[in-house]
Amino acid sequence: MNKDQLKMTLTRIFKKIFDDQSISLSNEMTASDIDNWDSLSHMLLISEIEDVFSIKFKLKELNKLKNVGILIETIFNKIT
Amino acid sequence: MIFTSFNFLLFFPTVILIYYLIPIKFRWKFILISSLFFYASIKPVYILLLLLISFFTYFFTLLIDSKTYNKKILLITSIITILSPLFFFKYYNSINTFIISILQTSKLKFDLPEINFLLPIGISYYTFMSIGYIIDVYNEEIKAEKKFGLVTLFLSFFPLVLSGPIERAENMFSQFKNKLKFNYKKTVYGFKLILWGYFLKLVLADNLALYLNPIFNEVNLHSGKTILLAVFLFPFQIYGDLGGYSLIAIGTASVMGINVRINFNKPFFSKSMSEFWRRWHMSLISWITDYIYTPISFYLRKFKLTGIIFSLLITFLVAGIWHEASLSFIIWGLIQGSIISFEAISKRKKNQFEKKFNLKNNKFYILFCIILVYILFSISLIFGGAFNSFSESIISINRILSNSDPLYINQRILIKSLLVIILILLTEFRDEYYPNKWLLFENKKGYIRWISYYSIILIILFFGVFNQDDFIYFQF
Repeated sequence: MNKDQLKMTLTRIFKKIFDDQSISLSNEMTASDIDNWDSLSHMLLISEIEDVFSIKFKLKELNKLKNVGILIETIFNKIT
Repeated sequence: MIFTSFNFLLFFPTVILIYYLIPIKFRWKFILISSLFFYASIKPVYILLLLLISFFTYFFTLLIDSKTYNKKILLITSIITILSPLFFFKYYNSINTFIISILQTSKLKFDLPEINFLLPIGISYYTFMSIGYIIDVYNEEIKAEKKFGLVTLFLSFFPLVLSGPIERAENMFSQFKNKLKFNYKKTVYGFKLILWGYFLKLVLADNLALYLNPIFNEVNLHSGKTILLAVFLFPFQIYGDLGGYSLIAIGTASVMGINVRINFNKPFFSKSMSEFWRRWHMSLISWITDYIYTPISFYLRKFKLTGIIFSLLITFLVAGIWHEASLSFIIWGLIQGSIISFEAISKRKKNQFEKKFNLKNNKFYILFCIILVYILFSISLIFGGAFNSFSESIISINRILSNSDPLYINQRILIKSLLVIILILLTEFRDEYYPNKWLLFENKKGYIRWISYYSIILIILFFGVFNQDDFIYFQF
């Protein structure tokens, strides 16, 4: 899976978790850019990403996920 | 010495004057000495406790950072060490009373000695700051600070030591090391915050206290309607109290060129309880979110929404116990945890409902949500500090529901308080919905700014309460 495919899959996950079909991800996007992306939905998002990509995050990685770009990079490093 | 004491009015200008007269490289050492003096002025012996916690924080973070020993064991040992004074001073008597009451129901008698020490003021705040710093070093988010003096300054910094905001090491260390230069904008901003903080504390909180404290302290003597009115006014008393103190703290730090995180952000304009907790006592909630909610919900993430709800309940239980180890605060924590959990469960349905009826920008709907959140928060405070004990909370509910005696009104105090509440709500309404309009303290025209400053000073002088030196959050 390349980064574009990864981004498409991730977009589908975001649309499902935040119940918003209009979401279009960009690398600079942060929690403040998406309605309802708070600490509650964040953990649902993490769990869904783990299930879909069959990966595991570490707790200390969570604090470093400052925007969508870093999230994509972290997932990409785990699946390749 | 507290912010509203005459001594502080002497202490603060003296510190600022010397601070800006001495070379920049000595400034952090000077604030350290001033902070230790400030804390010692309340009760000298407790400075030893603060120094001891600073030492253990310094010692354990260096060890964790050295990676020579088992990090996890060091983390657990350090947290237990740092937490033990808090448990000893704050929770020993409560746990003791609880055990005795349990044993009494089984007709057993086993008395442990009661401790009559005063709770060291600020212990909950610097304990949390210390633990946050240790965990950050453990997670390799920051390096351990090698200067003991800087660690001590972080925990004893006089604007924050008594009642927060609960700051993070990363933000404070970098400023103590690099940015202690005079900054005109920050200084002026700081004085504005201090002025507004004194207004909130002396005019809002302390006037309301004159009306509310006798009701909360003698719940049996007051009618149901009076108690209900008191319950609905109580959030404003706490807001004036902790919100005012926080602004004085943030402003004091800003005058020294140091940025400190805000603690309240127009909380009474929240449209949901989860939004309310992102705006109320933000430094505590953010700390609890990062160091309690996130790890628990992370380990329970496989249980999806159920895991999140369980994490929320535990988190608010801890928030309740942080305030006081009592049945009342446990119930308060569970009430808040349940409301937030309900919001989490129903969020998707609520969003669909709002979209369907185009309610997101409907003024009446927004107003309805704001009032609902206020009512829920006020009612939860029946168990969250309004009354002195759980039994008095229950009596108050009974009286609200069954007593129909007339309302007791202290007209002079209530009119004063209501006018102040209206003024605060209007300024916050402006900040929330029209952020750059009708500015007072920030107006470009100098005469409007100065009229505003002097008006607030006059209101404080004429309507402030100056013989009251209690502060609700010192007990926490």
